Amino acid sequence: MGQSNNATLESKEERLQKDLAYLKLTKFKKILFKTKKFFRGILPWLRNLLFAILNFFKKVGLGIAHECVNIVQTFIHGDWKTKVSYVIMGFGNLARGQWGRGVLFLALEVIFIIYMIFWGGNWLSQMGTLGTQGPEKIYDPIYDTYTTIYHDNSFKILLYSVLTLFFIVAVVYTWRVNIKQNQIAEAIIKSGKPLRSTKGDLHSLIDDQFHKTLLALPTIGILIFTVLPIIFMILIAFTNYSGKNNGYSNNLFTWVGWDNFNTLLNWNSGNKAYSAAFGEILAWTLIWAFFATFSNYFLGMLVAIMINKKGIKLKKVWRTILVLTIAIPQFISLLYVSKMFADNGIINGWIVRCGGEAIGWFSSDPNLARTMVIVINIWIGIPYLMLIATGILMNIPEDLYESAKIDGANVWQQYTKITLPYMLFITGPYLLTSFIGNMNNFNVIFLLTGGAPVNTAASSAAGNAGYTDLLVTWLFKITTGTDALYYMASVIGILVFVVVAFISIIVYNFMPSNKNEEDYQ
Amino acid sequence: MSEKDLKNNEPQVVEEFEEEKLEQPESDLRQEVAFDDTAVVSREKRHMGMKAKTRAANITIYVILVIMSAVWLVPFIFIVLQSFRCESTYLTGYVIPKQWGFDNYARLFTETKFPRWFLNTFIISVVAAVIQLIMVLCMSYTLSRLRFKGRKALMNAMLILGMFPGMLTMIVLYRILADAGMTQGNSIAGLILVYVASSGMGYYVSKGFFDTIPKSLDEAARVDGANRAQVLYKIILPLSKPIVIYTLLTAFMGPWGDYVFASYVAFNVSDGYNVAVGLQWLISTPSNIAANYTIFCAGGVIVAIPITLLFMFLQKYYVEGVTGGAVKG
Amino acid sequence: MANVKLTNVKKIYQGNVVAVHDFNLDIADKEFIVFVGPSGCGKSTTLRMIAGLEEISEGTIEFDGEVVNDLQPKDRKISMVFQNYALYPNYTVFENMAFPLRLIRPKMSQDEIYERVTKAAEILGITEYLTRKPRALSGGQRQRVAIGRAMVKDCKVFLMDEPLSNLDAKLRNQMRAEIILLRKKINTTFVYVTHDQTEAMTLGDRIVVMKDGYIMQVGTPTEVFDRPRNLFVAEFIGAPKMNTFKTNLVKKDGKYFVTPFGAEIPVTGQKADLLAENGIDSQEIILGVRPEHVVLADKPSKETIRVILQVNEMMGNELHLHLLTDDNTPLIVRVPTMNLTDEFRNELVMGKELYITFESKVMHFFDTVTEKSLLYIDKEEPVQEDEEEINAE
Repeated sequence: MGQSNNATLESKEERLQKDLAYLKLTKFKKILFKTKKFFRGILPWLRNLLFAILNFFKKVGLGIAHECVNIVQTFIHGDWKTKVSYVIMGFGNLARGQWGRGVLFLALEVIFIIYMIFWGGNWLSQMGTLGTQGPEKIYDPIYDTYTTIYHDNSFKILLYSVLTLFFIVAVVYTWRVNIKQNQIAEAIIKSGKPLRSTKGDLHSLIDDQFHKTLLALPTIGILIFTVLPIIFMILIAFTNYSGKNNGYSNNLFTWVGWDNFNTLLNWNSGNKAYSAAFGEILAWTLIWAFFATFSNYFLGMLVAIMINKKGIKLKKVWRTILVLTIAIPQFISLLYVSKMFADNGIINGWIVRCGGEAIGWFSSDPNLARTMVIVINIWIGIPYLMLIATGILMNIPEDLYESAKIDGANVWQQYTKITLPYMLFITGPYLLTSFIGNMNNFNVIFLLTGGAPVNTAASSAAGNAGYTDLLVTWLFKITTGTDALYYMASVIGILVFVVVAFISIIVYNFMPSNKNEEDYQ
Repeated sequence: MSEKDLKNNEPQVVEEFEEEKLEQPESDLRQEVAFDDTAVVSREKRHMGMKAKTRAANITIYVILVIMSAVWLVPFIFIVLQSFRCESTYLTGYVIPKQWGFDNYARLFTETKFPRWFLNTFIISVVAAVIQLIMVLCMSYTLSRLRFKGRKALMNAMLILGMFPGMLTMIVLYRILADAGMTQGNSIAGLILVYVASSGMGYYVSKGFFDTIPKSLDEAARVDGANRAQVLYKIILPLSKPIVIYTLLTAFMGPWGDYVFASYVAFNVSDGYNVAVGLQWLISTPSNIAANYTIFCAGGVIVAIPITLLFMFLQKYYVEGVTGGAVKG
Repeated sequence: MANVKLTNVKKIYQGNVVAVHDFNLDIADKEFIVFVGPSGCGKSTTLRMIAGLEEISEGTIEFDGEVVNDLQPKDRKISMVFQNYALYPNYTVFENMAFPLRLIRPKMSQDEIYERVTKAAEILGITEYLTRKPRALSGGQRQRVAIGRAMVKDCKVFLMDEPLSNLDAKLRNQMRAEIILLRKKINTTFVYVTHDQTEAMTLGDRIVVMKDGYIMQVGTPTEVFDRPRNLFVAEFIGAPKMNTFKTNLVKKDGKYFVTPFGAEIPVTGQKADLLAENGIDSQEIILGVRPEHVVLADKPSKETIRVILQVNEMMGNELHLHLLTDDNTPLIVRVPTMNLTDEFRNELVMGKELYITFESKVMHFFDTVTEKSLLYIDKEEPVQEDEEEINAE
């Protein structure tokens, strides 16, 4: 990325000479040259990344500043209808005859004020403490039992505070839109054109504003069911919310700052067990993701090539057999296979009958269990990859192979010079998503081994982590049970995000098939 | 089949699957023959050598494919066999039942809550599939076809959101659903919401499909007097049969086999289980396995049959979607 | 039927890429106007702005005095034919052509729709395909359907975006002729975009030559061919392309000469008058000579240039000779075969030495820096209308 600056300085002639010089190099030197170039590129790349991030914040900052200036200027230069709109949203629209918009703006403002007075303000005021008085059990002498009396509920306080903040942001944005509309309306009136009527507004929702109609439902769903929970859980990572402190039936929970991160990563004399467990599980997660992705990729490609080979008959039958296994829900196939290889499963049954000794496929040796998981994952994954590879292989122009054959390439050379580069180029983004998907591959691990064999060192931390546990299954284990450590799960979740984002940024930037989406259209 | 014209640059897997040509074993040798005019004898020899080599390679491939097919199918054959086994123990050391019968199926329907689980799963899957289809189509069509301020930002935001493990949100979603009374025994509504609400984020494959429909069709329709909504339902939707079916199929298969969210939301109340949670529960402890192993197999067969049949009929669309999705990234 | 007026129209894509600069044009009612230029010159973008498919960054577009900038395409009363036809694959040919009519409000009766579609189909000769789907048609038939769909509805402006470029050469010539006939029947304002100068010359009442988002020249086919305003138009219009090279213009005793490759060729006729009128003195210039205005000389003289024949392309009625001068400047000559003896034609092989000169009345002169014509400086047309040029066509 960094070279582009220098490249513009070089003359065309110089660049051509350099390119030609490169062509003269031997194969080994070419690789050396590329490697050097790659490592030399890293530093400028990191610098560019940093600048891009800084630039982003600068842009956001400037954007906000610009908006503020615009808001003030609109107030100064606007007519009285516009000025009133600063206090009464939608007033300008109503005064200028745009009933539909005006009513909506006004209704939102009224709802917002009522909400803030009766509920929102209350939630926000408690956000700092997350409640002061938890539930208490009071002895009831008449019935000789304890009854629980509920006071504050930290969970609700935090949740509704976040919701209220969402609402405030939305209202501020709407307020800004309301001002902008006044500004636009004034300009339109000044130019002597009529304003769009409410009917026109409605019609635009199926025409030039159609995206708003289409996106309304999906984005609201994403906001409430993804964005809100994620923000909430990020906040949870800074509290001591757990099964013991759930603020609901037990004690309240409260803010603890960076303590949980400290515990997990052990940057300041935290609990050694956590950092060790985290390191080990992260390492296995990455190893697993690597093998799971690439074993499937290359074996799937191989199977596709075999089935596609000229002269192989019953192509459709082979494919259908493999593809049908996709249809069968994984909880059936994986659970069944896990029982087949269980300590007293059918495989061991055979071994014992033949006079052998039962093998603890998943329960004894960590390395055996890990290998088994990867192998069984191949069984699950090959059909998908076979399909994908078939589709792409059939898209490779036949004349490429014909010309290679005429040039004297053998089967292996055809594969390495034509098939593989083409596949890698096309499936680059897919490999990345597949790698990340495998990092978070809950099903295979949970249904197959449940994390077994138990890792005594790691499970001293929390959640009975085993040798085949991935970060996600560990996270899941931590959140179940009576003393569920939700705060730890949140920290792990955030760290998974950091790792995934880091890998994505790096891979995405060095990928050759990082192409423009408009190229397809 | 009208999609065919449009999708020239799409991988035409399905078409080619169906149009397998009759094999021509000699075709590899043709140019050899054409280039080698001088030595007739040696040509004959090489010809034979090539043929033998090709045959050997093909036989190897056949052997591998047969073994593979066996490995892929064996577990499923085992499940079916064991579902008919009347002697109900887990550790047997053999596969073919000594006593055949439908006992396991009878017990599945009478002794467990399987009918309830099956109904739960069915309702959830159907409703979720339909709503998810609408969400995905809205999102993908908009991102593919309409240009508006914030489009790139929206796509980036969804990309970043997708990097958080889905599990993370489950804790808070569970509590929200619990407060709304949509968990445990009433898990159907809650689970539908969970599956459906954020499904707009899974727009990639569908957008990839829309991207292959020429933009000039939209433009022509707009010039011809159609508004954006009319373009969608008069021009684009009729062309989108493959992606509609693909989306429906995957949206149906997801809830049909989902374990994690279902177990979380149902939370130990068996009325709220779906088939995955229910059947897993049947064999979740050593004592359960001993008692229920063959019943689990029977349940597995019943769950797998409808989805496998559906899949067989719609395979073509699934293959198209998967391949297209991978190519478009 | 409308006049279309573009005033200071500009198109800026995000990232500050300017696709069209300050485009001004007044298209008269029922005029057939052609935008022509190499790819990326902004011609299609301009057309799409007229159609409403691209937003107008700056300036205004008016139909009959009404500004249409903010109107959706469907509200502009336009018809358009696309380069790749854009037929709806899920509809039959009939439904494709009826599509615009079915969207008209208040609703048009089925009878009238049938009437209009079949009438258009008849004009285009596609009646027998009305029940077919587009994919069952050949390229030429699809093209007709696309035109048919555009002509069923009454429109103010008929837009065509490279409609012939996906057809093979033979079909393209045939369709070009049909479009000329069609135009008489439809009788509305046409805006036609093409990269092919032959199409532009044969179809347009006026041609707009564009380059890099700028208008290079607007004029009738004759004007742009005979009186190119700049080097770009001179080279772009006409095939094979005009020979252009740097040389000197010499003014001697009120008479003009050019001195290409050591020869001395006088400038005569109207061109010489124009040079004098514009007060052009001796200077370095870019000389332009069309291939048909290069003449083979019988013998060397002061006015001839020695060249070596490189390639002889036989076109049937004429030969295209690719020549190389002594200082390796390539030139092309067009020689009608009619007057050549067989003997001479047989001699025309690579390496043959030939002598050429230029028609003295029809040379073009361009400034070496601005590349603008030295003959036609003003925006106004020259006063004299009678043509003195020798046209090979």
